[in-house]
Amino acid sequence: MAEVELRNVGQFFRRSGGALVEAVADVSLVIRSHEFVCLIGPSGCGKTTLLQLVAGLTPASQGQISVDGAAIAGPSPERGLVFQRDSVFPWMRTIDNVSYGLKCRGVEKTKRIEIARQYLRQVGLGDVERSWPRELSGGMLKRVAVATVFANSPRVLLMDEPFAALDYVTKLQLHQLLLTLWEQHRPTVLFVTHDVDEAMLLADRIVVMKEGRVVDDRKITLARRRTVESLALPEAVAHKEVLLRHLGLGELVQDRTAPL
Amino acid sequence: MKRTTAHRLTSFGVLVVLAALWQLASILMPYESVPGEPMIPGWQILVTRTFLSLADYWQGGLGVPSVAQGGPRTYAGAALAVLSNSWDTSLRLFTGLTLGVAVGLVAGLAVSWSKWSRRIVALPAQIIRTFPMLALIPMFQLWFGATFLGMALFVAFAVGVIFFTGTVNAVGNVSDIHVDYARTQGASRIQIYRSVILPAMFPELRSSILLSLGTAWTAVIAAEFLGAQTGLGQIIVFAQYFGYVGRMFLVALFLLFYAAITYALFERASRRLTEWMPRELATPDRYGAP
Repeated sequence: MAEVELRNVGQFFRRSGGALVEAVADVSLVIRSHEFVCLIGPSGCGKTTLLQLVAGLTPASQGQISVDGAAIAGPSPERGLVFQRDSVFPWMRTIDNVSYGLKCRGVEKTKRIEIARQYLRQVGLGDVERSWPRELSGGMLKRVAVATVFANSPRVLLMDEPFAALDYVTKLQLHQLLLTLWEQHRPTVLFVTHDVDEAMLLADRIVVMKEGRVVDDRKITLARRRTVESLALPEAVAHKEVLLRHLGLGELVQDRTAPL
Repeated sequence: MKRTTAHRLTSFGVLVVLAALWQLASILMPYESVPGEPMIPGWQILVTRTFLSLADYWQGGLGVPSVAQGGPRTYAGAALAVLSNSWDTSLRLFTGLTLGVAVGLVAGLAVSWSKWSRRIVALPAQIIRTFPMLALIPMFQLWFGATFLGMALFVAFAVGVIFFTGTVNAVGNVSDIHVDYARTQGASRIQIYRSVILPAMFPELRSSILLSLGTAWTAVIAAEFLGAQTGLGQIIVFAQYFGYVGRMFLVALFLLFYAAITYALFERASRRLTEWMPRELATPDRYGAP
């Protein structure tokens, strides 16, 4: 069980000129246990800020965030985060990266290496455990990050546009890998993206943000695993049209009169 | 031919050319600092007469009598004089260096603990760093006398200031994303310092370490100028009193040799510690010290 609840959450920043910026404004949201939620919205809408608040990296200016009713107080391995940029430690070998969180929590060496090896094998990197990150490709580094976060057995998985910088094929491969791991371990997922297709492929639910506020929250009831065919069904197309219009891409949608 | 071999051959060639230029200058300018002492002694004088004269600084023992006790100038005496004085200088240098690095690093890390402490020490640290180090020698002498402790502390101060500011800057430049990544995995602050900050800052700290090594050699020789009874700096001072340019030059060559060894040892250790870095960034001769 890991239900994430955000109640009237707000985050303000003061610009260098002194003006107050409302990055996240009065967001209330409940993400149910094991749910896969994609948070979508145009650049600068507050998605990443909201994710960092849930991760506990920065305290919220107002409101409360809780997991299973307990207010969060700072970061925790129970809420694993996969960053957009490469976060893998370049000074640690692959296996040491994957076992780092376990080491921090005092897991005995033999045990943590065994766990790390298991996840490295699962992400297809069993043969590079002694490699330095500099020897790995961008896609492999993301696999290391995914293996690392799952090795910590998080109850909540937070992902901040993790595959945004990858090529098309690698991105699709990682989607399948992520879904496999999610189906096995079933953490509650909050996945930030601005890619509508990615959100349609992965999510149980898509939450749309604009200017710091939640403006849409829709369930995606398409059967899993989704395929090219299922994503071309009328229900999927209807969702996609609305999402594209939220992102200011209404000109790509044929029926401009469809309600948001 | 491999790139590194070509590089070494070129460096060696430059050294040979410099030595030849020195020899040429000794022939073209046959002046004397005092009667019988050439202003620019050629290599044939340096490796024979000048080297032998260093036997004057051997205090006697190990079956080789000192010149002051009436013994002859011998190559063994000269070699022992160089070794014993080099040992004394090195001991002062490495004691001061170790102390300076330890204090500078720990203080730098402690200050970097919070943004506020970084802000508070930023300006004073810059001021102390620009303070002319040599102007402090008389003060250290008055405080500690011409003792081992005084000289080692002077080296420690010179190195510590560089290391402190270098550490504060290097910590400030560690990527936030790695710190956040560690925090989300449950790392404590101490664990973050040990497993993230220290390895991440090392490449940037390398330039401070190299600067510290150079400064430490300068500082220890400068400290020995004033009142030391042994050490390579003391030989230079006595040689200057009597106009023995050859001795000064020869001791400077020994210093150059020792400094080169310390740089080479550090480079070797540094290569191991930066094994994880992309080669083009970890190779200082290509892009400068990263």
